[in-house]
Parts: sequence; structure tokens; C-alpha cells
Amino acid sequence: MTWTLMDKCCNRCWHSPEYPCRHYIRCRLSGPLCHEDVECRVRRSRRLKEIRYGRHGFKINVPLASCTIAAGAHEVYEAVVKEVKSRGILADIHRTGCMGMCYIDPWIELSKKGMPSAIYANVKPSDVPRIIKEYLEGDVSSAFALRNRTGNAKGEDKVPLLDELEPWRNQVRWVSRNCGIVDPESIEEYIALGGYRGLDRALNMRPEEVIEEIRKSGLRGRGGAGFPTWLKWKIAREQPGDVKYIIMNADEGDPGAFMNRLLAESDPHRVLEGMIIAAYAIGASKGFIFVRAEKPLMAERLSKAVEQARKYGLLGDNILGRGFSFDVEVILSAGAFVCGEETALIAAIEGRTRPRQRPPYPATRGLWGKPTIINNVETLAHVATIMAEGWEKFAKYGTEKTKGTKMFCVTGSVKRTGAYEVPVGTTIEKLVVEIAGGPPEGRKIKAVQIGGPSGGCVPASLLSTPIDYETLQKAGAIMGSGGIVVIDDHSCMVDVAKFFTSFTVAESCGKCFPCRIGMKILYDILEKITNGEGSEEDLEVLEELGNVIRSSSLCALGGTAPNPVLSTLRYFKDEYLAHVRSKRCPAKVCTKLVEYWINPDKCTGCGTCARNCPSKAISGELGKPHVIDKSKCIHCGQCYIVCPVGAVEKR
Amino acid sequence: MVKVYVNDKEVEVGEGSYIIDAVIKAGYSVPTLCFFKGIYREASCRICIVELGNGRLVPACAYPVSEGLRVYTNTERVRRNRRVILELILASHKIKCQSCPRKGGFCQLLDLAREYGVEGIPVCAECPLHGNECLLVRGEPCLGPITIAGCGSPCTREGTICIGCRGPITRRDVLVEAARLYKEHKIPLEEVFSKMKLFWNNHPSLDKIYNILLETYNGGEKK
Amino acid sequence: MVNQTVVNVVSSIVARYRGERRYLMRMLQEIQSRYGYLPRRALEELAKLTGIPLSEVLNVATFYHQFKLEPPGYYIILVCMGTACHLKGNLDNYEAMKRFLGLGKYENTAKDGTVSVEKARCFGACSLAPVVMVISRDGKERYLHGHVTIRDARRIVAKYRSLALKKIKGGGS
Repeated sequence: MTWTLMDKCCNRCWHSPEYPCRHYIRCRLSGPLCHEDVECRVRRSRRLKEIRYGRHGFKINVPLASCTIAAGAHEVYEAVVKEVKSRGILADIHRTGCMGMCYIDPWIELSKKGMPSAIYANVKPSDVPRIIKEYLEGDVSSAFALRNRTGNAKGEDKVPLLDELEPWRNQVRWVSRNCGIVDPESIEEYIALGGYRGLDRALNMRPEEVIEEIRKSGLRGRGGAGFPTWLKWKIAREQPGDVKYIIMNADEGDPGAFMNRLLAESDPHRVLEGMIIAAYAIGASKGFIFVRAEKPLMAERLSKAVEQARKYGLLGDNILGRGFSFDVEVILSAGAFVCGEETALIAAIEGRTRPRQRPPYPATRGLWGKPTIINNVETLAHVATIMAEGWEKFAKYGTEKTKGTKMFCVTGSVKRTGAYEVPVGTTIEKLVVEIAGGPPEGRKIKAVQIGGPSGGCVPASLLSTPIDYETLQKAGAIMGSGGIVVIDDHSCMVDVAKFFTSFTVAESCGKCFPCRIGMKILYDILEKITNGEGSEEDLEVLEELGNVIRSSSLCALGGTAPNPVLSTLRYFKDEYLAHVRSKRCPAKVCTKLVEYWINPDKCTGCGTCARNCPSKAISGELGKPHVIDKSKCIHCGQCYIVCPVGAVEKR
Repeated sequence: MVKVYVNDKEVEVGEGSYIIDAVIKAGYSVPTLCFFKGIYREASCRICIVELGNGRLVPACAYPVSEGLRVYTNTERVRRNRRVILELILASHKIKCQSCPRKGGFCQLLDLAREYGVEGIPVCAECPLHGNECLLVRGEPCLGPITIAGCGSPCTREGTICIGCRGPITRRDVLVEAARLYKEHKIPLEEVFSKMKLFWNNHPSLDKIYNILLETYNGGEKK
Repeated sequence: MVNQTVVNVVSSIVARYRGERRYLMRMLQEIQSRYGYLPRRALEELAKLTGIPLSEVLNVATFYHQFKLEPPGYYIILVCMGTACHLKGNLDNYEAMKRFLGLGKYENTAKDGTVSVEKARCFGACSLAPVVMVISRDGKERYLHGHVTIRDARRIVAKYRSLALKKIKGGGS
């Protein structure tokens, strides 16, 4: 075992979880503090350099988060290991988290002393030998981007700097600063990059002062509702009794939002640090991390972080000698979207199901009847960063009412899908068009769906809306956890509303009537409309029913579930009317309203469509144009998909 | 003690009480279905919603009182929401009152539907409460199965058929059930249709009703 | 004999968590990881040993998505139902797969027990949408297919079905 920064430099250092040293964190980077020894000092700075540049001056970063693994990063990692071995070079192959730019997954980053740090995009295992060979020969011309320029390598001027790239330049990497840089399974690297400084600072303050600091920063919960974090903490702190709990909500369930997963997988210690600070502020002695079992890597990394923190005395009794004790238990959630609702989450930890009526709010009566604070992953990561950097730097960003930055996951019809961090108040247009690159060629943005199944659709005409809690609410959407799905003119808004409604119908816990039955009826009506059986009366029913569900449901899931329907009704009424009046789907998505025909000029008569047709509606001789029998056609769209020459057309 | 205003009337209730206690103490009432004091306070049915001073709708049975809380039990919004919720409950309720064990007893759902003018419950639901013999059994084209309840079935009590003066029910499942009843008792639909013309001749959904009845009547067990 | 082992498995799990109510979800997860689903017999045993009413155990077991009450196929084909995948037509893929296997509306597992087709939550691989993930029952194998079309969907089902048939026969597991 090599010596790490976390270990004792010599026998004069006495820190251990049982006898913690107050200056342990500060001592790691600028130590030793309690004694003067050149050797100890050199040892530390040498190790720091090793972490930053690799032991042998050559470092290869391979991102291993679930998104990059899905894109093939494991295979790339193995290819890199094999190549390094077969070449016999000395290099550190370093696992990192995800940078958030999904469209270049899997990427690798090569950095060698004297050479610019180069990022290669969309790497296949077979590319790895060529990339390493070129890089070692001093040629970076095939790289995707460079972190810095040195002027030593060939082709440097042809490759843009990362900071010059649109998706990078416009971001403010505040909580995601370490993502893609730090090894998520190493507490040492996190500390080398300034980690746990925030905790150290917080423990030097009184809990009230910590709450005050968060108040000044203006941080609001990043989970959806945007409740001021400090206020929640203050309420819990002022509750009588000494048993209080804190829960980290890592049970991300929104389709199209994955920033919490990304943060917890790429920089788990930051999140954990935020949790310890929050526990100190409210006086909790026990915490729970509630993480989805379906996201095993996230659970594994968080558990590992907890283990490491415990090993070095950052969790447990008398943390850093400040007389504050706190421990964390990781709980695997079996998964239900309604667990995003605080009371349902508490029920899940207690081994029950379903939310309950609020008030009493969890901050006064939560887990097992004790005051409980629930913060989501991103909020806690913000807490850690604010405590380390000071509230001024955080409050510099954002709008009057909402300070700081927020991560957004942009998916759907954009060129550059990914998770981007921008200041609150950035316009939708900037995020979707400048950063994420807008829709593919030839497509037009029709709407932007913000906030997942609880959010709403904002039409293209309102793209200049700044993203913050209040303005989005006015526009009929919510910020939610920050999932943004870009919808282009090839999608039907009624179909989109139907999709989100089907999601909430499936996820409704079934406790209260408006949500359980109301959402089902909303869905049935939408299905009727997309099948061409709707009437204008139905649109009125949609609106009235939606409003009732919104105002009288038990929990926030039901209270926001009709949003996709109501917002599309508000902005895209003409599309609904086209469905009910002229029985036509303008985007040609609702298959029942689309007529399929075979263009005889294009048809080669291969017969694929006829073989795939489930209702035997297609006839024709081999080699001659085929014909669809309209009376038999069931509008399933199979022929449209299987036709190799695109001769089946919709009209 | 906590001071609460129910429909602007001041009333004092003990700390830890719920809105419903204050409402009752003030002499008003809210309808409840799922609430049973001391046994079930989960606010599932949402029928007891009331409006707060700030415009929020909350269930009276499970919302704790606080000093100076303003509660309105009977605003336009509350009534509309209650009506829609009732309709939702009825939408998933098999209205087979003829075979309900509560036949002859009291039915909260029926009472509420009557009170809030929710269509969906047929006269047939009330009729047996008065111990009447079903006229369909006698083979008469009674409109009871497809007419909105709430009248207290005075006609059938007098032994004459229901002629649908309160208007038709347009809910598909009720109509399907009605068509089955007609078929079971071998009552020709033409007779029923001719009775329907008396009051419903200009009703906008008349064609729809015809179609559903015919479809089920002729189609046997088809949906 | 088989039931005896179920009793042993459940009682050792219950003993590890001292039968506490708050670990109900955890205990169910362990039972599921042992059998691949929650056998009725095991749930009854759990209820008996912990004193939690069976209805409550079933309440939790049916409420959360992770728990399955019926044995899944050898391979589980997870069709992502995230927003991006939906917009790019994954529902059609799902339906094509079910049609290919001849499954009814509420059936998810092929009659021969080779493959199951299930809707799943977003995998976070939105840039590859529409995505289909295939995992084996024991969780050891994991494959991802991106940019799936209806034709691919059928091919995927056929491929894993024949693979599973081979494994079931060969491995005898």
C-alpha cells in the first residue's frame, strides 16, 4: 500500500476516529500543523502532485458512471488497460465520473507532462490504440477538445479548447466542478481538491450561524418546490427534543432527469459532506440515504463514500473533535415515483407505503414522529460548496429571488444531450439552443417540457423565458428537478400529454380519489382524442377535471399531475382542436388518425411490408408497387417502419 | 384554545383539533365519506374539502387548526370540486343498486349525489328504498334505469312508470347496465324510446343514448 | 422439502434484521435477490415470523416497482419508458416484442420462461434513445441496445430467447 494523504505522515500525527484531531482536514493540504518537519511536508506535496498529474507524469482518465458505461466505457477502459500493458508504458489509468456531456460518451482524457490535456469523444475500444499512439507521438489533431494549450503538440491549433466550446463556455460549474475530474471512489482525491473544507468551516461555527450562512446564500431546495433550505432547517432546529433525522433523497424518478445520479456517482463525497453539514445545523444524529436499488452504481458509490468517511472519522462519534456525532445508513429504495413526495419517502423508510396529508410537515413531525429534514442530492451538494466557498460567491449568480446555479438535463430533440449547470435565470433558449445545440437539422423546436411528469410544456414562442421558480410557474411549468425535454415538430403535443399522463396513472399511489380515478379518466379522454373519437366537449372536461385534480389531491404528485395536460391545452389548443374537429394529427404521430399509403414511384416491390402487415392489408406482386387496402388497415404503422426505401408515407 | 373562523363565525376549539371539529362546533357541516373519528383520518376521499382564507383547498377531516385560521365550507369552488370528486367516485362505482346490500338502508353516496346534483345515479337506486316492486318485472317500459335520481321516485311509488322528467343519464356504463335490464325483462326498446321522446326529444345526447342502448341490446354480451 | 428451504432462507433473513418493521423493504429485497421474485410461501413465512400482517407485507410488495410476485424469464428485457425514448418510439418496440411473444395485456413472461418483457424507468442513456436493456435473472449479464427499431426489437427477442433456451438446457439451472 502506498502512503496516501489520509494517512499519518509520521508517528507525531495522532488522529484516529476514536481520538479525532480538530485540524485533520486543514492538515491534509497545508500540514503538518502540529509539528514542523520538512520530510512530512515534502511527502504531502509530492503526493498531491501525484494525484494531480499521475505518478508517472502520464494520466488517462476514463469516465465510469452509469451513463458512460451504458455507452460502452467499460470496454474502453479494458482496451486502455490492454494497450498500456502491451506498450509497456508507465501511465495511471484513472477512473472518473461523468462530465455531463452525454453526446460525447464515452470519452477519454489523456494528459502527459509537457503536453496539452486532450479529450477524445465517442471512443470505441478499437480506437484506443490509435489514440494513444498519436498522443504519445505528440499529435492531438484528432482530439475533441483540449483543456489547455502548450504549443508543443502537433495539430493543437486545430482543436478547440474546452473553455471555448459552446456547451462548456456558457456553464457555471459550481456543484459539478469535480465531475469528470475526481475519482468518485477516492476520498483522498476529493480532499486534495479542497473537499471537506466546508465541513471543517461549518463545525467551527455554531449551528445557527451555519443556517444564517445558508440563508444569506439564498439557496432554495433543488428538488422541485423550491422551499428555502435555511427555513426548513430552522424549523427543524427549533423543534423540541433531541432526536432528529436527516434524509438524503437520492430516489430520482423523473424520466429525463439524471443530475442527482450524475452528482452522486461522480462526486459522492461532496453530497455526503453537505449532508453532514445539514445534520450539524439541525442537530440530527442519524441520517438516511434513500437511494434507488435500480441504480446500483449510485448506491454503491454512496455507500463507499460513507464507509471511507467513517474510516477517517468524518462520520461517527465526536466528528473532528467538535463534540458532534452523526452517522449515516444507506437504504435501498424499491422504487416508486411517489417517494419524491416527502411523506411517502418517510413511509418507505418506515416500511410502509403511500403519502399522508400535510401538515404536520416532516420538519416538525416526520420519521417515527420526530422532526425530519429531507434534502435532495443537488441541494446537499450546494450546501457543501457554499460552506467551502462562502455564500457571497454563490449569491453572485442567479436572480433576485433565486440565487445560485442549477443543473439541468437536456434531452429529446437536441444535438448535444447532457446535464449542464447554469445560473438560475438563464433563458430556456440559451440552455436549449446555445448549450445543447438546438434540434437536429431540418427540425424546429415546438415546445420545451420542463419538470418531468409534474411539469408543463412551454411553447417555442416563450423560449426567452428565464428559468426560475416563479416565472416558470407563471408559464404553466415547474422547475422540478430540472429535466428538460425538447420536443420538435415531429411530435404531437396530445401524444406528449398522453405519455406523461400514462406515467402518472401508473405511478399514482391510489390513496386519494382525484388522483387515482381522475388521472385515469384524463388518460381515457386523451386516448379517445388520439383515436379520433374525441369531441370539443371533451376538451372542456379535460380542463375542469385537471383543475379539480390539481386543487384537491392529497399530495404533490396529484397536485401537479395534470400540469402536462393543462399546459398543452393552454398553448397548443389548435392541435387538440385538429384532433377533435377534423380528426387529423398535424404531426402525423397518432397512428389512428394517419392514413398510410405506398408511393408507387418509390416502391420497389420487395414485399417486406406485406410480410410484416399484421392484418394482411397489403397486396401486390413481387417487383411491382404494392397497395394498402384501407378497409383492412389497422393503422399500426408497421409497414412505415419496415419499408427499406421509405415508400410508405403518411398523409 | 385556538380561535378559528368558520364562514366568518368565530369559534374556539382545543389545540390539536382538526378543522372538522371547529366546523361542527360552529354549527355547520361538511360531508364525509372515508372519515371515521378515531379510526380513520387519512383524507382519502377528499369530499370534505373546505377553502381556507388563502384560497387553498384542504380536507377538513385531517387539517389541523391554527390560530386565526379562516375556513369557508360552502364556496362556489368547494361545491364545484366536491361535485367533480363525487362524479369521479361514481365513475368507478358499479351502480347496481338493485343488488346492493344497502338496498332499503341509507346510502351516503346516493344522498351526496342528490345533494350536489350529480347525475349518474338512476332512479332505480332510490326506488327500492321505498319498498316498491320493480315495474320492469311486470314488463312495463319504466325509464327508471336511465333517469337521473333525486326525485325520491314518487311515480313508481304510486305504481306508474318513471317517465324521465329529470333528464337522462349519459354515462355509458349505466346505459349498458340499463339495456341489460331491459333485455332481461324482455321489454322492447321501441317502447322505451317512445317514452323517452316525451321529455328528452331535444336532448343533445339523445342519439348517443339510443346508440348505446341499441348496441348493447342487440349485441348481447358485447362490452 | 422445497418449502423447508424457503422457511430456512426466510428465517435467516428475518433473524439478521431482527424482524423489525423498518427493515421490511430490505428483507423483501433479500428474498427477491435470492429467488428472483417473491414467492408467496416466503411472504407468508415472513409475515408469520415478523408478526407483520400478510396484508401489510403484500401492500409493500405490490406497491414498489422492484418487487415481482411471479418468476421472471431467464432474460429480462427492459424497455426504457423515459421521455426521450418514448418520443422516439419505444412504446411501439415494446408492443412489437409482446406481440412477437404472443403475450396478453397483463402477461410479461413468455410461456416457456425464457424471456420477460418489461417497461422500465429511464436508464439515463437518453443519447442512445430508444434504448432496450437486457439483464439475466441473476443479474450477472447486462446488455444494452441503443437506437432500436421495430425490426431490431424482434431480433433482440428472438436472440435472447434462443440464448436462454440453450442456457436452460445446457446449464440445468
